[in-house]
Amino acid sequence: MKNIKVNYFVIFLFTILLFTSCEEDGAAPDEENEMEVITDVKLIFTNQYDSTDIVTARAQDPDGAGVQELKVLNGIVLKPNKQWILTFEIMNNLESPGEDIGKEILEEGASHQIFFDYPPEAFCEFGYLDEDVNGNPIGLKTAWQNCGDQVIEKDFTISLKHQPGVKTSTSTVSDGDTDFQLTFVLTIQ
Amino acid sequence: MRSKYKLNCHCNSKSDKRYLNKRFCCILNFFFLLPSILFSQDNCTNTISGKVLDKNTNKPILDVIVRTITDPQVYGVRVSYNYSDKFSISDKEGLFLLEDLCPDEDSLLFSRIGYQDTVISLEADFWTVSLTEKFVELDNVIISDERENNLGTQTLSQQSIDLKDQTVDVTSSLASIASQIDGVTFTSTGSNVERPVIHGLYGNRVLVLNNYIKHGFQNWGDDHAPEINISSVDRISILKGSAGVRFGPEALGGAIIVEPDQIKLSQPYFFNVNTGYQSNGRGTNYSIKTGKGFKNLGFNLGLNYIKIGDRHSPSYSLTNSGKEEKGLNLGLHYHLKDFDIKLFYSFVDLNLGLLRSSIFHSGDAISRAINSDVPLIIDPFSFKIREPNQKVKHHFIKAKVDWYYNENNKISLIAGRQLNKRKEFDVRRNSGLPIIDLDLVSTDLMLEWDHSISDNSDGLMGLHFFNQDNDNLPGTQTTPLIPNYNTNRYSLFLVENLKLGKKSFEFGTRIDYEDYNVRGRETSQKIFRDEHSFSNLIFSLGFNNQISENISFRLNLGSAWRTPNMAELFSFGSHGFRNSFGLLRYYFNDDKIRTDRVTNFVDSEVSPEKSFKLINEFDISDEKNELKFTLFTNYILNYVFERPIGLFGTIRGPMPYYIHDQIDMLFIGSDITLKRKFSKNFKSAFTFNYLWSNNLDNSGKLINQPPIRISSNFKWQTNNFWRIDFSEIAILPSYTFRQFNAPITYTPESLINGYIALNYNSKIFDLKEAPDGYFLLDFSWKVDVNDFSFSLMINNVLNKRYRNYLNNMRIFADEMGRNFIVNLSYKFNSKN
Repeated sequence: MKNIKVNYFVIFLFTILLFTSCEEDGAAPDEENEMEVITDVKLIFTNQYDSTDIVTARAQDPDGAGVQELKVLNGIVLKPNKQWILTFEIMNNLESPGEDIGKEILEEGASHQIFFDYPPEAFCEFGYLDEDVNGNPIGLKTAWQNCGDQVIEKDFTISLKHQPGVKTSTSTVSDGDTDFQLTFVLTIQ
Repeated sequence: MRSKYKLNCHCNSKSDKRYLNKRFCCILNFFFLLPSILFSQDNCTNTISGKVLDKNTNKPILDVIVRTITDPQVYGVRVSYNYSDKFSISDKEGLFLLEDLCPDEDSLLFSRIGYQDTVISLEADFWTVSLTEKFVELDNVIISDERENNLGTQTLSQQSIDLKDQTVDVTSSLASIASQIDGVTFTSTGSNVERPVIHGLYGNRVLVLNNYIKHGFQNWGDDHAPEINISSVDRISILKGSAGVRFGPEALGGAIIVEPDQIKLSQPYFFNVNTGYQSNGRGTNYSIKTGKGFKNLGFNLGLNYIKIGDRHSPSYSLTNSGKEEKGLNLGLHYHLKDFDIKLFYSFVDLNLGLLRSSIFHSGDAISRAINSDVPLIIDPFSFKIREPNQKVKHHFIKAKVDWYYNENNKISLIAGRQLNKRKEFDVRRNSGLPIIDLDLVSTDLMLEWDHSISDNSDGLMGLHFFNQDNDNLPGTQTTPLIPNYNTNRYSLFLVENLKLGKKSFEFGTRIDYEDYNVRGRETSQKIFRDEHSFSNLIFSLGFNNQISENISFRLNLGSAWRTPNMAELFSFGSHGFRNSFGLLRYYFNDDKIRTDRVTNFVDSEVSPEKSFKLINEFDISDEKNELKFTLFTNYILNYVFERPIGLFGTIRGPMPYYIHDQIDMLFIGSDITLKRKFSKNFKSAFTFNYLWSNNLDNSGKLINQPPIRISSNFKWQTNNFWRIDFSEIAILPSYTFRQFNAPITYTPESLINGYIALNYNSKIFDLKEAPDGYFLLDFSWKVDVNDFSFSLMINNVLNKRYRNYLNNMRIFADEMGRNFIVNLSYKFNSKN
């Protein structure tokens, strides 16, 4: 009887060892396309009547969440009395090649909108040129016209808002969460 | 003529001590001498003597108070009785003697600290009744201060909650049930994620043991709670001192031990069904339990389901606060002559909603949220759980073999394995993809030797191997928050307990060696690797003095330790309105902070946390009153916390940045519990908690320290009417004070506008003032009729609008309003 008892115990010990045998992997997590981070935003103003006349301005936070701060690298300098189409290049350049976040925003246009805060004398006409599946504007393509007034170094603030479930035709810059908020220095002269 | 009546037990489990059955399963196995002609009816000349032994060790127990009681009444699963004034105290041989007993004094109550009270009736009639019903459950305390003969923790303040005795909301969390104990509360991220706080410490400074095995889950961050399904839990015990020697690292504040339903032998087939509904959230819950005990084999099986929709505060819906839980547990107990083999499996599947209006990544959005009186997003009621939410599946299997190789000693072999699969979803682009997708496999292997060197001593020696393997699953389209890692821990511990008369001394020591292998990705997707190891020696010294029958004093000084967790070491980036860096993700170069590389542990100044906790407890009790007074001091070195370092420009606008840092902390506090039994039917209890914490470096007050709280309960056992076997009404008023010791407040606007300049010398700050104090009233009524049991609980009877300082959602929304919870259960026991 005692032998049987001892045997049960020994068998149990072995099963425990099997139970716990596992290969330890030394693998690192898989590479991901990091879509949550935006490091570079480039504004591209294209003259509506001359596609070779392009003005750009860039803002960059080179390390994403790291301690390097956001830098607005250029001011926006435009000639007066012109009509422009503004488009964006929104990138995550932490990886190379960079990730095109602008494409993601367009795909989820129904929960994003870009809002513009500009000095009223700078542009006499402004309009959204794109729309999402609900017919509401997104803001990745907008039209601007200056009617002759000059503007010297005034603030031009662009905000991308993420508004899932909140976006309507009357959404404003106060609704939702901010994905980027950039203030450029605008000069029209 | 005296006959010797020997009662055989067929269960060796320490936890089966509360049950009597035909063969008298109990922890106190005793021989007693009956007069052959039972009791003479005319005068008080009866004599009873006997011997009290511990079932597990078969050794006589000293200092058992043996009282005669009259009139034991059995109601379903309850026994009530009247004390008579005759008693005896067992001596070193376990012998007791009661003389001059009257005919109606035909039952004995045995009680002793460390053992469950047990009632034995000597009258033949009682035994007949017992035979027919097969067994009588004895639970004569609601919150029991008796505890198992738990070596290594006897001098710690330990209290237990027996879930069967309580009117408990089985849809609530482990932490909220545990918070009935003084000194214990919980910190939460909404009503679905509640983490226990013991004496001001929480997260992975409190060890959560599921069936005595550390619950292997993602215990980091401020929104991960242990995944335990309450309906499978029988008892929750809280150890408020350093339980590190016995159970391992992380028990700096204490430990919570969750015990599942016991698997009883020699018990007829039983079947329990429980169903409930709650008005706040329109929640429903169902559970089924069944089991049977044969002579050598027992099993039980449980299934449960909970579904709750959006809760509401008194004024508005708390959008996306629902939850869904599915659970299964299975237990098996096989008994051989000197062996006990137990197997246990449990599975829980959770989908937890977090308040929709609590996700903000930018300054202007969070300012609007904090300044708004109501959450920014309020949708009509729905059962649907959307982002943000957490989906977790947790599997747990445990096998234990106890070998009683001789009368006094036992060797136990325990193996446990857990798989925790966690997916978390956030409000983001591609919200259908999880933002966290982790698999965590934990393995425990323990060998314990329960021995006694001498008659007066008891000891436990153990070897413990622990392994964890954490992996990120691909496809989140975001950099993993914590890296992949493997860790192994090897431990050896020894606890010895020595009894000298009414005093006992406890000494324990433990040595742990832990190693880590870490692989992660930076946000650039570059891989980083690290390996580090720690070893630590901790001790525990305790003293317990049963000064008299009514007064006891307990003292424990113990040390504990823990390594900083993966989030504290490797965090990088945004979490709500803040960017935070782990201990190894930043460094200083010419006094400027840099975050462009990962530091290896060996090159860093990071050290494990180490704590010393001194806890004293006085217990004074008499027939009607009980006073328990606990005083503690906890000194923690290298306490990890988040320190603000400045406001930095980000693409979302200015945002406060934090680094994880280490500091020395001191916590001092006290808990008081007063219980009074006014009459047979009316009793009350009152608890008071106070905690003061201070960091020894002037970095400001800690966030999330529990404020002073006074809670009480008044319970009336109403007279039985109609066919009611048992009915109890409870009223539970409580008052929670405003946290006076809260950190300074800086609103998001004042930060962004530059009114406040943040820098390295800034103190810890909060974004919103601590809420005002509040008075809450809860109510419950429990009724037993034959095999049915019905309860009605009303939480927040007054529908008070309030915010709980310990809830991270308090900056966005109020707490839940009134909630009616009804529960109906049916217990069926077969008669064969």
